[in-house]
This record gives sequence, C-alpha cells and structure tokens, in this order.
Amino acid sequence: MGTRERERECRLCAVTFFAKLHPGDVCGSNGLPLTPNSIAILGRAQKLKELQDEHLCQYLDVIRGKHERTIVVSEYLGLSLEDYAMRHPPLTIAQILRIFYQVACGINVLSRHHLVAHNLEPKHILLSSDGQRVKLFNYGLHHMTKGGAYVPFPIGNIRYMAPERLLGLNGNVKSDVWSLALVMVELILQIELWPKLKLSNVVRKILAFGKSNGALEKIAREHQCHERYVQMDQRLRQLLESCLSVLPKRRPLPGELLEHPIFEEVLLDLKKQKMEPLSPETDHLPLLLRCPLSQIYHLWQLAGGDVQAELKKEGLIRSEAPILGLPQIVRLSGASVCPGRSQAQLMDDRVVPLRLKALLQRLSGLPAAVYFPLLHSPRFPAHFARELQELPLVIREKDIEYQFQRVRLFTRLLQGYPHTAEQLQREAAVDVPPLLRGPIWAALLEVVPNGSYAKIDKFTSTSTDRQIEVDIPRCHQYDELLSSPDGHRKLRRLLKAWVTAHPQYVYWQGLDSLTAPFLYLNFNNEELAFLSLFKFIPKYLQWFFLKDNSAVIKEYLSKFSQLTAFHEPLLAQHLASISFIPELFAIPWFLTMFSHVFPLHKILHLWDKLMLGDSSYPLFIGIAILRQLRSTLLTSGFNECILLFSDLPDIVMDGCVLESQKMYEATPKSITHRQHALRLQPPQALDIGVADVELKHLQQEQCPRISAKDVQFLLDNSPAELALVDLRSVVEFGRVHVPHSINIPFATVQLGEQRLEALQVPQLEAQLRGKIVVCVSNIHQHSVEFSHFLVACGVQRTCILHKGFNVLHSIEPNILISN
Amino acid sequence: MDSTATRTLPFVYKYKNHEGQDCESRLDITFPFDQENLEECITQLMALNQMDPMMRYLDENINLERELQKFVDTEQQNFLDDHAEKLLKQTANEELDIEAIVRDTERLYKEELLQFADRVGSSDEDIFRPRASIAWCTLRPWRTYSSESVHMPSRRWIAQINQLDITTTSEDINNLLAQQYTTQNYVRKRYESELEAMVGHQKNEYRNWITSQVSQMFQVSPVTTPLGNRSSMFVSQQPSMEESFTIHLGSQLKHMHNIRILSANVTELCSPLHAEESLNGLNMALGLYSSSLCGVVVLCPSIQAQANKNIIKNANKSTEFHFEQIDVQMEKIEKQIKNLTTEDSSGSSTSNSSAEGSATPSPTKKSVTRLKTGDFFITKHSNLSQTHVIFHLISDEPINSPSEINSRHPVILGLRNILKTASRHDITTLTIPALLRHEMSEDMTVQWCIRRAELVFKCAKGFMIESASWGGAELSTLQLLLPDDISESLFTTLAGMVPSVFHVANPKILVDTSN
Repeated sequence: MGTRERERECRLCAVTFFAKLHPGDVCGSNGLPLTPNSIAILGRAQKLKELQDEHLCQYLDVIRGKHERTIVVSEYLGLSLEDYAMRHPPLTIAQILRIFYQVACGINVLSRHHLVAHNLEPKHILLSSDGQRVKLFNYGLHHMTKGGAYVPFPIGNIRYMAPERLLGLNGNVKSDVWSLALVMVELILQIELWPKLKLSNVVRKILAFGKSNGALEKIAREHQCHERYVQMDQRLRQLLESCLSVLPKRRPLPGELLEHPIFEEVLLDLKKQKMEPLSPETDHLPLLLRCPLSQIYHLWQLAGGDVQAELKKEGLIRSEAPILGLPQIVRLSGASVCPGRSQAQLMDDRVVPLRLKALLQRLSGLPAAVYFPLLHSPRFPAHFARELQELPLVIREKDIEYQFQRVRLFTRLLQGYPHTAEQLQREAAVDVPPLLRGPIWAALLEVVPNGSYAKIDKFTSTSTDRQIEVDIPRCHQYDELLSSPDGHRKLRRLLKAWVTAHPQYVYWQGLDSLTAPFLYLNFNNEELAFLSLFKFIPKYLQWFFLKDNSAVIKEYLSKFSQLTAFHEPLLAQHLASISFIPELFAIPWFLTMFSHVFPLHKILHLWDKLMLGDSSYPLFIGIAILRQLRSTLLTSGFNECILLFSDLPDIVMDGCVLESQKMYEATPKSITHRQHALRLQPPQALDIGVADVELKHLQQEQCPRISAKDVQFLLDNSPAELALVDLRSVVEFGRVHVPHSINIPFATVQLGEQRLEALQVPQLEAQLRGKIVVCVSNIHQHSVEFSHFLVACGVQRTCILHKGFNVLHSIEPNILISN
Repeated sequence: MDSTATRTLPFVYKYKNHEGQDCESRLDITFPFDQENLEECITQLMALNQMDPMMRYLDENINLERELQKFVDTEQQNFLDDHAEKLLKQTANEELDIEAIVRDTERLYKEELLQFADRVGSSDEDIFRPRASIAWCTLRPWRTYSSESVHMPSRRWIAQINQLDITTTSEDINNLLAQQYTTQNYVRKRYESELEAMVGHQKNEYRNWITSQVSQMFQVSPVTTPLGNRSSMFVSQQPSMEESFTIHLGSQLKHMHNIRILSANVTELCSPLHAEESLNGLNMALGLYSSSLCGVVVLCPSIQAQANKNIIKNANKSTEFHFEQIDVQMEKIEKQIKNLTTEDSSGSSTSNSSAEGSATPSPTKKSVTRLKTGDFFITKHSNLSQTHVIFHLISDEPINSPSEINSRHPVILGLRNILKTASRHDITTLTIPALLRHEMSEDMTVQWCIRRAELVFKCAKGFMIESASWGGAELSTLQLLLPDDISESLFTTLAGMVPSVFHVANPKILVDTSN
C-alpha cells in the first residue's frame, strides 16, 4: 500500500486518558454533588470542535467511557514530525523554516482564540507525506482539561517545556513559542535534546537557563555541535535566541514571529502553491474525502465504527479486572485504603488511527450526484432511494447510504436557506438527519441569524435568577452536555436572555426544559439556539408565559378535553366520570411541549414532527399518549391514574408520533380553534370568530365546534367523510336541508338510555362510523345535549356546527335543497 | 509556588452618546482574565455607567467589545510576562526551593505518565486473573482437600472427665483444665501449620497448573476473557421467601433495575462454593474477573474489626486460590486500621495518598484507631457460593434495643459509600440487609420493621438514582435481605412496600393493532 493511500485512510484518530476522580465525597457550593471531571472536559471540548484552520487538526468528538475515561477523536494527517525527521534526515533549512512558519501559524490561530497548546513537541506536529502541509495535533488538551486541573497527569513534554511552566505558570502563549523554538533547534542542529538525561536532571537544566543567558549556545555546547551553532544563518540564530529568551517578555508573540523577514521565502512559496491549480492527485481523491470531516466521522460511526473497540484492539483500553482494584477499607468520610493503582490507569499518549477503508468502499459505488446533489435541475433527481423512506425511522437513521444521501442533500439545502425554505420543509417532512437537526429546526422555525443575541443583556441580575439557578442543575442532567459546567453556563445565558427579551412575560418553571433541546442541538451556536426558542414559543405556546396565564391554560386544557372526546369518546367519558381532569396531569406536558416528561432522544423525534405542524399539533400528541395508555386508564380509578401519571411510563415514541400525525391530518382546522392561538391571517366570514367561543362554552360543551367553512369544504371535497345529523323538526327539515343529512328531530328522541339503538333510526351506527359527525340545529342547546349523548354512546368525531343551521344559508353557492 | 497573584487595572472607554456628548465608562478589570467573562464585563460597563440602552442598538457594544478585547489581550500578556519574570528572578536568586520543584515534577511525571513510569511486572493476582474460563475447572480436583482437619475433640479429655468424682478438688480440676488447654493449643497449632502448609502447597500446584494451561492456550488461540455473567439466574439455595420486581428509576431517562426481596440467613449467601454440585459454583467462578461482580453487605460491630465467624468458617473450608486466605486478608486489614491516622491528621486524604499517609503514622496518635459506625472493610473471595466481595459494614446497634435512625445516620451514609464503591468497581449485584439487622429480636415490632425498611428502601432508591451520574457500572440487581427468622406476614408486608417505594415498571402489553 502506498503512503498516499495510507494517508487517505488515516484521516481520523483517537487518543484517550482518564479524568481525575473527585477525592472522597465532596459537594459543590450549591450543595449538589460535584460534576465528574470527565463531563466537565466534555463540555469544554465542544468549543474546540468549532476551530477550523489549515494548520490545526480538527476536533471531531469527545466520548466519555466508563470510570472517567475520556476519548478524543480528531483529524489526523500523514505522519508526525518525529517520524518524518527520522525518515528524511537531515532536513534542509528551507524545509525546517517551512515547518517553523506553519506551526507558528497554528499557534497564532490558537492565540487569536485565546487558547494555548502547552504540549508542543515533535509528536504533536503532523506533516503530510510530501512534507508540504503541517498541522498541529492534540493542541486542545490544555484547554479542555482547564489547564490540567481535570486530569491527574501533567500536560506537555518536559524537554520542550519553558522554564516558567515548570514554576507553575500556565496560559502564556510565549511558553509555546519557547517549545516551538526548541523543536526547531533539534532539527537544525540535528540533535536530540538530552537523550540520556534523567527526568530530574532535565528539570534542573531548564531551570538553570534562568541563571545564564544564551540558552541556545548552551544547548549547542552541551550537545557537541557548537560548530553548527556558529555556522548558522545570522538572522535565524537571532530569531531562535529571541524565542529562547528566558524572560517571556523578550520572546516574540506568534504574530510577530510570522512577520520575521526570514520567512519571506516560505511565504512566497506557500502563496505560489495556493495559486497552482489542483494537482492531479487531488482529482483522484475519493469524493467522500471532499466532504466535511464531521460528516465523514458521522458516517464512519454509522458504518459500524466503534472508537472504544479500536482502542481496545491497540491495547489502549486494558481492562483490568475490577475485583483487583477494590479498596480494603473505606471510611465514612470517603477516605479509603486502596491497593496501588495499576499501570492501566496511567496516561498513555499513543495515537490510534481510525481506518476509513471500509467506509470508502461502502460509499464508492454511489453516483457523484449523491455526493453533490443538484437542487434545481429536474434532470438529476435528488433522490435515489425512495423505497427506503417506507422503512421505520429507526432503521433509516442507521442506514449509512440513506443518511449519507440525506446529509448531503440537507447540507445543500441549508447552504441555500432561506431561498430553499420551501424545499427544506418538504424534505424535513420525510425525516430529519440527526447530524444536521439543529440548523434544520432553526430553518423550519424560519430563523435568520442577525446578531441580535449579542445585544441582549444576559448578566444583569433579575428577580428570576434564583429560580433559574435552582432549575438548571435539575434539567435533563442525565445528558453529558447539559450537565457540564459549560452547559449550565450556556443554559443560564439563554434563559436570562429570553427573560430580558420578553418584558411582557415571566419565567415559568419549565422554560428550562423547553430550552434544553435547542441548546443540546446547537451547543456551539448559542445564537441559533436562542433564536430557535424565540420563534418556537409564540408558534406553539403563545401567551403561556404571561404572569397570569390561567385563562390561556384553561382554554388549552378545555380544548384538549374536547379533542379527547372527539377522538377517544369512551376514554374521555371514563376520565370525566372519575374526574381525572387534564389540569391534574397535562400542564407540564403542554407548558414544556413534553420536554419535561421525556428524555432528549425521544423529544427530538417528537419535535421533528411538531416543527412541521401548527399550534394545535401538541394537543394530538397528548391524545396519542392517552391512547397508548388507553387500556390501563380504562380500568383504573382516580388514584391509580394519578400514580400512573406522576411518573409517566415508557411511551413508544414511534407509535405516538404516527398516531398524532394521523389525528392531526384527519381533524378539520376549526375543530382546534382557540382564542389565544397565534393567528397568521384574520378569520373570514365563515370561520369561527376570534372571540366567538368563550371559556365557559368550552367547559360546558364536551364536543368541539366546527366552522361552516370546514363543513362546506368537506361537502365539496369528501362528502363520504361527513355525516350531518339534522336535529330540527321534520317540517323544518322538509322545507330546506343539506343533501344526505340524517334527520333526527330533537323533540322526539329520548336521551335517557345511552344506546344508539334507542334512537330507532335504521342503520344509524353504520352511517356514523368512521365519519365526522356534525350535529346541526337551530337551537344550540339541542346540539350540545345531543352531542353529549353521542359521546356517551362512543361515537367518534362528534362535533357541533358553530352558529347552528342558519349559518348554512349564507354559504355561496347555495348547498341546501328542499323536498 | 505562587500562582494566585492578581493585578487589577482600570479600563476606560470613551465614546460619544446619541446627543454627541463625550462620555466615559470605567471598570476595574482583574488579571488573570478569563475570556468567558468578556461579555459580562461589557454588560457591566454599559450598565454601571448608565449608558443609554439605546446605545446597544447603535452597535456601540461592538466597538466597546473591540476596545475591551484589545485592552485585555495586551494587559493579560503583560501580566503573564511580569508574573513569570518575577518568579524566574526568584529562581535565579535561589529564593525558591528548586529541589522541591524538581522533586514534585519528577514525581508527577513518573506517577502519571506511562512513558516515564517504572515498568512493573504483573502481580501475582494479575497472573492468576487471566483466564477465569479455565480457572473454574480447577475447582474440582482440589475441593476435597481441606475441610476435615478442624474439629478433633481430644479422646483423653473425655476419658478424664469421666473419671471425675467427689474426691477431686477444685485444684485438680484446674490442673486438669490447664493441662487440657496446653494440649489443645498444641494440637491446634500443629493442625493449623499443617493446614497452612497444605494451602500453600495447593496454591503452588494451582499456580503451576495455570501457567502450563496459559502457555498452552497462548499457543492455540488468542485468549478471551468472559464478558460477564448473570449469576442471579441460577439461585441454587432457595431462600425461604422471595419476591422480585423490575423497576424504572430516573425522571426523564429511565434506567431499569431488578429488586429482589428475600429472607435468608446472611451466611447462606456466603456458604462454601463447593458444598453443592450446582451450576451456581461454576457461574460464580466464571464471573470472578468479569465486570459484573456480586457483593454482599454484612454488618459487624466496631469493637474489633472482625468478620462474621460463620463466614470465616465457610471461607476457610476450602483453599482460596485467587486471593489470600480470609485470615490473612483480615490480618492485613487490621494492620491497615492500626496505621490509619486519625482523620484530622490525614485531612482530606485522597484514595491514593492515604496509602502513603499511613507509611508515616503521626506519633501524637492517642490510641489505636478503630473503625467507627459507617466505615467498612472489604474482603474478596473466590470460594463462596453467591458473592465475590463482602462489605463488612460497621454498625453498633445494640441487639436488644432497636433504635430509630434517620437518613443522615452513619450506617446509611456507609451504605451510600458501599453503593459508590460498587459502582466504581463494577459490582452489579448487591445484597443489603433491609432492616440493617441480621436477626430478628423480640423488641423489633412490626411498626418498627416497617419504618426501618421504608427508610432503607427510600435511601437505597435515592442512592441508585444518584448513581446514574457517578459514571460507573450500573447496579443491575439490588437484593434486599431480611432475617431468615422473619414471620411470613411481616415479609409479605415489607415485600408489599417495594412497589410503592420504587416505581415498578409497567408491563409491556403487545396489542395486535391490525384490526
């Protein structure tokens, strides 16, 4: 296998280490147990994923294993400087300068992001196999471990460590300049620093530099190459000497380093290289490798890639039998007597490559149009696997070709957003690829980032701070991101920003759960998370966060009861009979859009569909949950129901989503009418007016009202789905009526017996089954009473015509006929 | 090393407000500066000086941020450089203890980085550990070896007792007794040393055998260690009463656990592995080096760290091939306890450093440190029927007067530490005494038992919920052990409390939805 091919396959790698265990049993200042260090590392490392630069290896993932093990997955390139120098000795000065310059570029980018590497050594400098491109590797260790505070081991190779770091000073970018200079000195003088010296003596040597000047000369003398030192280019020597000044003040900053005249040639060279057209090699590069690395890694995982297994194969995760590590005595205070730590627990800085070969082969058969889909050319359809869309979502989410196709398609769509909003909506209705869920949701909510988040005050203390402080450490804490200190900080900022941005609203408990999914999906993009929440709340929870929201909530829950009667009449009847009203269980459901009752992975699937529906969609989710628990509920009394809902049992989310969608589509819009819902256009003549239905009506009527407009629509388009029950007298019915309607004069029926047969209308049940049953009368009260009777008989989809029969007269063109 | 030094500098921001007047905003900024705080500082600068909120919309905050960032970057660099310079000068003038720095650095690198660590060979245990899969077949050839030798009533003694008559004075009896004790002691010592020799011999034999097996196995195929077992599946000794539940814990993300409540004598759970022919022995042996261990909590008094006598007897019925014989383990633990300095002197010693703390016991120690209520010690076993690990939890509750305890009682906290240790060391099946008592006594009224059980259940539930965030192994089965002499009605009552305290999982009902 050629080096180039190997390089292609080794684009990803993993390193692993253990986070420090908290000693004994300590609590944080808020009285809650301390967050494990591995979680804190995971939170801090997220920021590193955002760094993308040609001189930095991109961070891709941080995985938390059992017992505080942390695994970091990142980009890898060619081979390390250590190996490269060994294979191509000696390097020319031009080559060395080229490496020097590019590493300095990397450090400079880091310092612009207020990061320091602090572990610079030849192992962490990677070169492409032709030696042209240079990238820094593993540079984030210092940041993600908070300067080493979260790990037991020291960071950085002692040989290249600047003297001030030995004295315990971290965070100065000039320490990296020192390390870089030493690495270069090794190359230039063709030596290995203190190869045989004991660790303690190396430390003494470095500290001794402080007493003398001319570290460079001293090193050259010690390694018997004073000649080379003397022969060195004057400018280069001065540069190195300034970098190796003991006092950091005299060392140049990385930015200053880059402007040194010695790099002029390198700069020209690099510029020329960039201007050159793509070399033939890159043409042969598999198409997959032109996709973003984060996507490649995601696919690698789907293709069965398991980082832990790869590490095990390399012997990096040595499983020590747990029984051997047990302590002998544990005191109440948490202090314990343990056997010595096994060496499997020590820091092992080996790098394990993750091979892409299988993935490349798997995807090599796909046409180029899948890699780079065309959105606006009908000649090249963007879909290639329609049949897969019939499969269950869980399978689709695991299918690598399918996910690949979806990810590429959505990447394109998102690049074209907001221009592609419509198409995006259409595609999202099929499914949402998990990798891009955050930005896709934002697009579905019509978010356009505009920098407004930065302008919101997130720090001035307010009266709700205390409540927010209490809620955050209790919000979806099983999730690693949300339980990390960084997650807490971000959630606090988001909540405070929302409160500041909505002076008309107050912070209700539950807003934290509502924010959590958005933060989870957009952990590195707070603005997107904020704007998504900003748009989400008016869309589904209009007025819910008013200081006095009782009217809104009462209306919502009454509508929920009505819709339950509409779709599940027997269940509604039963719950009403044991007075198990929605106020007792459904407020947290709707106030948090179910994010308080379900774990995140379930919310994501639920909200995928929610985002496509309007403000009434959540009501149907609620009914779908009741429907799933139907048999239990029907046999339970009040106490059992309370107990059942106090800790909601496991709900099958797939079924819940399907059911709710079916009900949502089968329900005419006016049935879900609420006064407080967000309205996009003003109501028309035949709609239900904004304030037509008052709360007391809602509470008195068990069945929802339907608008004349929807009745007309059904009559015109699908008359088979409609059953009109005309309650007027036979005479009135004879005068004028809707064709195919059933006349049951209200005055003649006995409603005492709750059976349909008691009405003595032939084949009534068959006529009503599976249809939307609309009760029509001139006297509203008649319709209400009759609809209650139908619900008691278990007739599904019963509703009342709003404004009674007379409203039908005003429909143009006329729909009424007379005998 | 002084790395806590700080420096505070004022930052002044000059700007024109919307009316074109010159304004100025001022804030003291402390270095070292955390970049995370930048935005907060901007907010303060705008709020403290009553900058018109409108200014935010005039993008004044962007300019302010740029200025502040520039100021912070420069000053941060200056601060770091100056601070380093100060320390380096001190080093040059030898005001700092360089040798201490050298020592600390070297220790840190040697103890934490594999690269620098002294390579140590595998320990004895490590060699034994490997192939638990073949370890079990070694159980049989040796199992009959060592159970006879303990009880040998001296025949002479019985004869002399029979000769006693009225003429014997108390002095005679005393003499006789003394004589008897000497011989008995002598006999016991002889047998003990014989036993010890035999155990050592067996261990040696076993070791050789293992080594030969392992080298054979290496030649044939790569070794796989068994992943885990579910020993609870083969319960051989039927406890008198038991009931099992499956529960879900957690508010949003639910974790499933098994709860079994049973009444049995604690020694039954720690009976000798080889006493019966059953699958369980094999199963326990297979699980020994897996990551799903079984543990039992046994209560013991603090007077002297001493394990339950019956358990010691059981453990001594056969040779312990994998660990030290229980007596040796106990001896070592006792030594450790003596070494334990009082808590004040060791301070907040970590799990690792306490071992070295014990190397230099403080001379001011008043008396021999004793374990207190809530502390526990651990013994490891490969020859007991239902447990690999025994947690000996110190509890000094007097037998005859049941007391009332609350959730902050040391025994309960000790229980929490046990759960924590279990999670950290992959013990996935744990048995705890549900009444914190191993035997019933007359004073334990039904009311008291219910209260006590409820407390233990609730605390166990709380600890299990908490354990989800410890990042260790999840406890798959929790066994609540009730004394074996408990009445059936009380058992039923207590078992009935389990579903009300823990949330029992709803049964999944599969419904055919096609029609």
